[in-house]
Amino acid sequence: MHNQDTQKKGSASIWQIAKAVMFAFMGIRKKSDLENDAATLTPAQVIIGGIIGAVLFVLGVMFVVRLVVS
Amino acid sequence: MAAVHGDVHGHEHDDHHPSGIMRWITTTNHKDIGTMYLWFSFAMFLVGGTLAMGIRAELYQPGIQILEPELFNQFTTLHGLIMVFGAIMPAFVGFANWQVPLMIGAPDMAFARMNNWSFWLLPVAATLLVSSFFVPGGAAAGGWTFYPPLSTQGGLGVDLMIFSVHILGASSIMGSINIITTILNMRAPGMTLMKMPLFVWTWLITAYLLVLVMPVLAGVVTMLLTDRHFGTSFFNAAGGGDPVMFQHIFWFFGHPEVYIMILPSFGIVSEVIPTFSRKPLFGYSSMVYATASIAILSCVVWAHHMFTAGMPTVGQLFFMYATMLIAVPTGVKVFNWTATMWRGSMSFETPMLFAIGFIFLFVIGGFSGVICAIVPIDIQVQDTYYVIAHFHYVLVSGSLFALFAGAYYWIPKWTGRMYNETLGKWHFWLSMFFFNLTFFVQHFLGLAGMPRRIPDYNLQFADFNMISSIGAFGFGSTQLLFLYIMINCIRSGEKAPQKPWDGATTLEWTHLPTPAPYHSFEKPPVVN
Amino acid sequence: MVENKSIANVLMLKKLLIFTLIMFVFGFALVPFYEKFCEVTGINNLLRPDIQAKEIQVDESRWIMVEFDANTRGLPWQFKPLQTNARIHPGEPVSVMYEITNNSDREINGQAIPSYSPRFLDKYLKKFECFCFTKQTLKPNETRQMPVQFVIEPELPADIQTVTISYTFFELAAGVSAVNK
Repeated sequence: MHNQDTQKKGSASIWQIAKAVMFAFMGIRKKSDLENDAATLTPAQVIIGGIIGAVLFVLGVMFVVRLVVS
Repeated sequence: MAAVHGDVHGHEHDDHHPSGIMRWITTTNHKDIGTMYLWFSFAMFLVGGTLAMGIRAELYQPGIQILEPELFNQFTTLHGLIMVFGAIMPAFVGFANWQVPLMIGAPDMAFARMNNWSFWLLPVAATLLVSSFFVPGGAAAGGWTFYPPLSTQGGLGVDLMIFSVHILGASSIMGSINIITTILNMRAPGMTLMKMPLFVWTWLITAYLLVLVMPVLAGVVTMLLTDRHFGTSFFNAAGGGDPVMFQHIFWFFGHPEVYIMILPSFGIVSEVIPTFSRKPLFGYSSMVYATASIAILSCVVWAHHMFTAGMPTVGQLFFMYATMLIAVPTGVKVFNWTATMWRGSMSFETPMLFAIGFIFLFVIGGFSGVICAIVPIDIQVQDTYYVIAHFHYVLVSGSLFALFAGAYYWIPKWTGRMYNETLGKWHFWLSMFFFNLTFFVQHFLGLAGMPRRIPDYNLQFADFNMISSIGAFGFGSTQLLFLYIMINCIRSGEKAPQKPWDGATTLEWTHLPTPAPYHSFEKPPVVN
Repeated sequence: MVENKSIANVLMLKKLLIFTLIMFVFGFALVPFYEKFCEVTGINNLLRPDIQAKEIQVDESRWIMVEFDANTRGLPWQFKPLQTNARIHPGEPVSVMYEITNNSDREINGQAIPSYSPRFLDKYLKKFECFCFTKQTLKPNETRQMPVQFVIEPELPADIQTVTISYTFFELAAGVSAVNK
């Protein structure tokens, strides 16, 4: 939508997206990393990454539950 | 769609607006609409508060004195519905209407006419809801969560409630579409997403949650309606439906809904605390990420409201663990606010007092929430006053206190006048005292086993109930003081300077005169 | 610039409206999803016959009192078990007859819904035959006897001495198919 910093938009690697999403789940992020994220990630990448992250989160909790009840 | 075009910029150069009542009915100005939202929600707050006074008057002593059980059930149901859908949610939309365009340097909301429409749906819905008291059979009486089979069996009052929820849902969806579009498309040049004030961020995420779950609520009440009148059996066991499925779908909406009611208050507090600590917000980026994280997690924990509805152990454990993990991003937020205050040059004007009161009491509510998330404890305290105490700590001393903080914080910008600081402080301390008097003892009542939604109780609960009722009457009357302070401020408050709070840094304080002019930011400001 | 913005706004409006519509449909899609989920995971398995997987050992050291209960809701039928209770060993196959009579002079479809006390009995109750698996159609003034065959597994917790199996008949509107085909 707003394209102030389009130079490098979408250039993030999968690992970078994964890292951003993982930190988002914990709710902690360093300022410099955030600025890096904001420059290189597109909203679509973040949303898809977030959905995958949520699925992994659910599976992870399910796995722990299985461990506990078995 | 052409109408939307003409509206957006035809309006900007039009200074001739109708006066008197027509100004308010036809207005497309975000400030007028924001004001109407706020007055509407305060009116509904008083209606819902009156119902609460009725409930507490009945519970002042054991036995049935004032309200017959049927009427008592209607009071508890309508108190919940009115406070959630009529008071808290519209109040936050009112704040968004006033503040979002000012804080991002936009001239108005993206769809000004739709904005007007989404407000004017509210009085219609509220009239339907309140008038249901006067139809045969009375208002809906099955609790604010309207579980079947009670809600499939009730009378005309339930139908009115269903229509009212439909309308309120439509209004919220339109409001949030408007807010999302405004935030994403209408920011001033240089206002990147990561420079937006936190209040705008929290509203962006809240608005997304609203368009995610409000349609599901609309769907589930539609199913109730067809079950009642068109012979379907979504929730009717005799026809192959399942009443427990209603609870699953309802809480799929209902749990994100509680975050819809708290995230914007996180935003308000995140504006107020840095201003009065005279320091930038500690960990801005963490705050944004934590808000997003809470929003996502809130969609996978709904069944912790239904631990006693019958669920396999695996399911109970899953929802218990997922729920407890939400405490992590919430804790990040609380620590960030505390760290913002750390070594700040703090001053304690009324908005700051309410914000600190918010943090203090919201943490108590958060902890009792974690306690309720533990399955064996929840099975004990389910449907007791412990749960009542828990969610009033997060909704009254959470959402409502943040709304008060925001109202005191921004009223100088809105009206050009200062409120009476002494009275404001009285309002805070009286609210703080009576709130805790009302709800803290309810923890004890709940642990001792007093069930909710029952008009009578055993003798051993008498003392705490009397204390709680006295607190409630005090809390209710204190809110009339708030009304007086606001009217007094609007009519005869002292003139406010452009920036009455010297620590404020957002656009509405730095770039706009006080009071904010009717049309602001027609030329977008430049943000560095 | 302004013109671009309005176009972008309208585009956003359309996207969000479509998203809203999808979520509205999603609410309804949860209904079949929920039913499928319960079926796959075996939760709520009240209306399907159980298959006897293993030879169940009869625990002759223990007695359980089984009480039978029958109700109707909103239809002019008389519905009762031919015996009100039975004293059995866990693991022992039991067969009980129920009788329904249509007291009206019209043909009526009914569906029986089971309910157990204690609530967790369904984990230990294996039903091989039940009139509740299908809808029942009774002609005017017809009387019918129907069996229920079941076993209560010996894993039933030892502190349970009495259990209740209850059925309630509800009327099905004409043309509505049975719950589980």
